[in-house]
Amino acid sequence: MARATRLSSRIDFLLFIGCVIIALVTLVLPLQMREPLAEVLRRSVVAPLVNLQSNAERWHTAWQLSEERTARLDSAVMRGFNAVALQSENDQLRKLLGLGARLRTGFVPAEAVHNAVREDVVTTLTLTAGTRSGIKVYSPVVSPEGVVGLVQTADPSISIAILFSHPDFRASAMSGDGTSFGIVYPHLQQGLGGTGEYLLELRGVPFRTTLSAGTMIYTSGLGGTFPRGIPIGVVLKEMKTAEGWTRTYLLQPSVNPAKVNAVMVLTPQRSPQRMDNVWQMVARVDSATHGVANAGDSLARHAVADSVRRAAADSAQRAAAAKPTTPAPTRVDSTPRRAPVVAPADTAARRRVITDSARPVRPARRDTVRRDTVRRDSTRRDSVRRDTSVRRDTTRPDTTTRRR
Amino acid sequence: MNWNAVRTAIICAILIVLHYTVRPLLAWNASIDFLIIALMFGAVRMRPGLAALFGFALGLVSDSLSPGAFGAAALGMSIVGFGASWLKAVFFADNLALNGFFIFLGKWTFDLIFVLVGHRMHGAELFMQIIVWSSLSAAITAVAGVLAVALLRPLMEVRTA
Repeated sequence: MARATRLSSRIDFLLFIGCVIIALVTLVLPLQMREPLAEVLRRSVVAPLVNLQSNAERWHTAWQLSEERTARLDSAVMRGFNAVALQSENDQLRKLLGLGARLRTGFVPAEAVHNAVREDVVTTLTLTAGTRSGIKVYSPVVSPEGVVGLVQTADPSISIAILFSHPDFRASAMSGDGTSFGIVYPHLQQGLGGTGEYLLELRGVPFRTTLSAGTMIYTSGLGGTFPRGIPIGVVLKEMKTAEGWTRTYLLQPSVNPAKVNAVMVLTPQRSPQRMDNVWQMVARVDSATHGVANAGDSLARHAVADSVRRAAADSAQRAAAAKPTTPAPTRVDSTPRRAPVVAPADTAARRRVITDSARPVRPARRDTVRRDTVRRDSTRRDSVRRDTSVRRDTTRPDTTTRRR
Repeated sequence: MNWNAVRTAIICAILIVLHYTVRPLLAWNASIDFLIIALMFGAVRMRPGLAALFGFALGLVSDSLSPGAFGAAALGMSIVGFGASWLKAVFFADNLALNGFFIFLGKWTFDLIFVLVGHRMHGAELFMQIIVWSSLSAAITAVAGVLAVALLRPLMEVRTA
């Protein structure tokens, strides 16, 4: 038993030594001899494992690629979102630059920082400019679209402005033609009721004056805070009120406070001056832009109509060219109906038709054919007359003889 | 028919297949070596000589895909297989932590032999490989081996003679 165990131990050891020696031999073999051995293994025993490994690596690569694609797509979408935001911000800043150029002096540009707490209706804004920049309390805050609000608190570096949606906001206003005056208040029923709408009320308009929907309302400059001529909003409709001697109108503000990011604060030196030309110029430029855009649209529409007309004409020509090959009974147009007219039975008539065919218009030809037939009849009539005359001549003697 | 041998063969085959499917999918720097786990599981059920042969065969399979160090894996696995079979009394202990430790030791020894004999690295790189990457790979292999032992325990009832 012990001998058998010893023997098997020796065999195990010999096997181990053999494996080690073979492994060492393969290690020291030159590359030209090792490579064929490895190749034989790869093509026989290891081939299924190599296939498995290559498939797994393909899966891994596909997974990585899909992750990379997803990441690329995500970043592209992010860039798209940023681009839209940047575009809108650029538009706003361009407008603001334009406003600055028109105002020339007496304004302080400021960034409008919205409150961190989300509000249904934005009523205040923090401005990144303060008394150091020349801003004072009650300085008007405007944007390229019109009135935004006025400064309520002015610190050295920042200031807080109340917007026209704030319950304390008031502005003296007038219609564009300067015939109706009133006071603008925030429309609290809906605006602050949580619907997210920003509406204003024009109160105290004399009863004798009526404002139609769409009338532009500007600051009148009477209150002393806002200079004259800054757009406030557009009349939506008249409101029913208990007061019988004045009218109240609902206004759609020109500015959406939720989208205001940059504003101009008018300094006290600029406030007393009129602003009529500043915003009216904006309106004129806008209408000119709309006009150019509309002209472009109408040109495009004309081009489309022309191409449609051309296509219809081409198809009609093609149909006309294809007509002789098509059977006549299926067509109901005038051409097949004319054919029997052009081909009369007797040769004399046909000759006349050929001579008449020099005339350009076909219906005229049909008329001439008819006229010809009439002429033919007249010819016959002439011949008959001639015959009768002859007959008369010939019959006369007979009759005379009979009389005789 | 020796069902124990059949079961061992099936489990080893599964582990070898996992080595060539799961490892490329994970593509870790310190990856799980299922071949070492298969070798350790097989070696404790074989005589040392057969275990050395099994290791040699597995090593040749591994070497065939890296001809630069052809023979290094065969040498390392022969030694690890023979050693594992020779120390099988230790592996009989029904202790997962102990099994994990021996798998760790087996993988680390194999890496040591493979790196030293293969003459692939030198100096600091060799040191980093042995101390950091081989240790990390051995630890991960040990964890995977312990999990495999825990999962396949009902199939791997090793009976002492």
